[in-house]
Amino acid sequence: MPNQLFTNVSIFDGSGKKAYSGEVLVQGNRIKKIARGGKKIRRNGAKVIDGDGATLMPGLVNCHAHLAYCDTATLFALGDIPPEENQLLAMHNAKTVFDYGITACVSAASSKPRTDIVLRNEIDAGRIPGPRLRAATPQFVTTGGPWDANQMHMEHGSFEIVADGPIEFRRKVREMIREGVDIVKLAISGDAFIEHTPEHSHTYSEDEIAAACEVAHSRGKRLAAHARADATIQACIRHGITFIHHAEHASTKTLDMLEKAKDKHYVCPAIGIIYATLHEGSDWGVDHDYAVAHRFDQTLEIGAATTMKMFKRGIKVMPYGDYGFAWNPHGTDNRDLEHFVNLIGFTPAQTLMMATKWGGQAWAGDDPVEIGEVKEGYLADLLLMDGNPIEDITMFQDTDNFLMIMKNGEYHKAPQRRRAAGRRQVAAAE
Amino acid sequence: MANQLFTNVSIFDGSGKKPYSGEVLVQGNRIKAIARGGNKIRRDGVKVVDGEGATLMPGLVDCHSHLAYTDMPTLTAMGDLPPEENMLIAMRNAKTVLDHGITAAVSAASSKPRTDIVLRDEINSGRIPGPRFRAATPQFVSTGGPWDPRQMHMHHNAFEIVADGPIEFRQRVREMIREGVDIVKLAISGDGFADHAPEDTTTIAEEEIAAAAEVAHSRGIRLAAHARSDASIQASIKHGITFVHHATHASEKTLDMLEKAKDKHYVCPAVGIIYATLNEASDWGVDREWALAHRLDRELEIGCETMMKMFKRGIKVMPYGDYGVAWNPHGTDNRDLEHFVSLIGFTPAQTLMMATKWGGEAWAGDDPIELGEVKEGYLADLLLMDGDPLSDITLFQDQDNFLMIMKNGECHKAPRRRRVSRRRVAAAE
Repeated sequence: MPNQLFTNVSIFDGSGKKAYSGEVLVQGNRIKKIARGGKKIRRNGAKVIDGDGATLMPGLVNCHAHLAYCDTATLFALGDIPPEENQLLAMHNAKTVFDYGITACVSAASSKPRTDIVLRNEIDAGRIPGPRLRAATPQFVTTGGPWDANQMHMEHGSFEIVADGPIEFRRKVREMIREGVDIVKLAISGDAFIEHTPEHSHTYSEDEIAAACEVAHSRGKRLAAHARADATIQACIRHGITFIHHAEHASTKTLDMLEKAKDKHYVCPAIGIIYATLHEGSDWGVDHDYAVAHRFDQTLEIGAATTMKMFKRGIKVMPYGDYGFAWNPHGTDNRDLEHFVNLIGFTPAQTLMMATKWGGQAWAGDDPVEIGEVKEGYLADLLLMDGNPIEDITMFQDTDNFLMIMKNGEYHKAPQRRRAAGRRQVAAAE
Repeated sequence: MANQLFTNVSIFDGSGKKPYSGEVLVQGNRIKAIARGGNKIRRDGVKVVDGEGATLMPGLVDCHSHLAYTDMPTLTAMGDLPPEENMLIAMRNAKTVLDHGITAAVSAASSKPRTDIVLRDEINSGRIPGPRFRAATPQFVSTGGPWDPRQMHMHHNAFEIVADGPIEFRQRVREMIREGVDIVKLAISGDGFADHAPEDTTTIAEEEIAAAAEVAHSRGIRLAAHARSDASIQASIKHGITFVHHATHASEKTLDMLEKAKDKHYVCPAVGIIYATLNEASDWGVDREWALAHRLDRELEIGCETMMKMFKRGIKVMPYGDYGVAWNPHGTDNRDLEHFVSLIGFTPAQTLMMATKWGGEAWAGDDPIELGEVKEGYLADLLLMDGDPLSDITLFQDQDNFLMIMKNGECHKAPRRRRVSRRRVAAAE
């Protein structure tokens, strides 16, 4: 494909700073050059795309993705889906989120051992469309942990691997590394959905966390944890678990610890599922009464407050998480951006910076992969939006607002013209 | 979608009779009306597609399909592949064959227990493109049967289910029916590829075949057999196995038996794989010497003779079979149509009748499904070909020659114009 030159665009570069007008040249799979204001890039045979003042920005990065979850209503329902069907559904989910501008994902858990791995490999092979994917294990739980769906008289699967004791954790984490995962996920705390392990419960022993982390660290694999309870957040910090998900009940002491280690961790509160459970679950028998009885209103309030406290301390909090359930399905992920503004109080610019620049850094980890910013030399994962997302963060919830979706310099959605009402010339001077 | 009217087309209706010029109206998922010669169908509210003399015909039906086979060179390579990856490859194969005008397929075996089943269900849901699909079990073999790849010191998989004794056959067939198969496949004879079980051996015992067939028949599920040896063909007839595949070494007595029961069986010799192994497999270390040492020249020669004998007795032989191996990959299936003409001696019209009308009947079985012919009321599985396939049976080997591929009244490939050099108006007959 010839070089692509986007002109007449308003560039949100991911830094969170005000957008500026300019031009961007993509060569191969990288951003080759950026020109600001009235400056022009030499056209030299490039295909020129006139953005008509649309916003050019980095692709969105979801660091708490569950592409292998199948929009089911119960744990059992997901476990009931056999691996073949699950693989195909994961494939469809990958396309869905990609259609909504999510160009990179860090999985926060697969449904079955190999689903994420195979999905990542198939996307990387170019055979199916989808975001760059860091593949995760299913959620490791101990017996009786939140996702242990077994009953005394009958076995059930959900989306878990059950392990007890450090040796079993060692063996099963090794097995998943053999299969090719990028992320080891531990469900350390409980969850309000589960009567026998509510959100304040800590369901692992210290030696089990240590065993899982020792194997992962020795093999250069990062970890993620389901960690709502305070003690479980501390355990994540102690054992170097990169992605601390939910993290609502962090005490001040825990916030101090996390602030000291802020370069080592990322936090996705996954606020959307809490909101949806409170307000939008009735069709599946999860009504507001149920949600309040299970303290979801408290979880939302505390979670929002904790997330803001973390941000003010320089801890990297990010949107997205837990889309893939019946009342919080794939394709509605970008509501989380709106939730970060309305429910937590972040500005659109802050939210989008988290979803691009920080997301890109989180995705890359220690690998020399530069994504998440419109910056010379960075990989060309780019969106062209029909409007100004800083003024309207809900724009990402409608696929029609995506005029272009590019990943690695290739179009998933080729550039379209702005809709008539939106077209205007961007002023040369800022 | 609006009703579609195909005008200015040469209609090969699947019967094998000479094509005639006319028009065809598709309404919903069925062929609503056909007009011959100069007659016209009313055009109100229809989208008219001018075929410019192209051939309109039924979609092709493959009754010896292996969409779950992965174009690999060895049994164990296929067996090594995990189920998730196999599922995705099967999905791609389904699109590949549909791209070549195969609008319906009866599987002659899955690679793994659920692959065919899940593929069929995914196609039927509309989420992925592919032919109408009858899902089969993997090949049932007995220990030491042709597709048993195990060694004494080490376990291997290929694309089989191993069973010994009538009770184990009964239980494993029941399990596959529980999972939702349409076809139970038994590898009754051996095969030239298997040194320990060559093609003239019969590797499943009478009581085992009886057990498998009993369960299948009681549940309304049809069977298929890998049956090269004479005894295995007779066993297939005796136990009501619908699809008697290969059927190379049928004796006169066996031909008499099959002729008597000709309404109950279909035979796909699968000549293409034998041809390809003899001539085109060197890149994978399977050269002509190997093929001759394994008597594949004999298998091809006898197989061709047997098919012609069968056809003359009114037995329903059909092309296709065993595409899905490295040197005989998916997407080259339509070479079998050419092989039926060049290697066996059928006419293009006979070959296409087998691949459409007979294929459609075989696909339907006892279900009230009408496909495989251009006939009023039949399901609209249709192809528009840029040329006359009766003059050139190789037309189907190039995707560009398919101007349109329609399944169930919906276009997998939307109609396009004939290439400039081929445009002409068909004279009224």
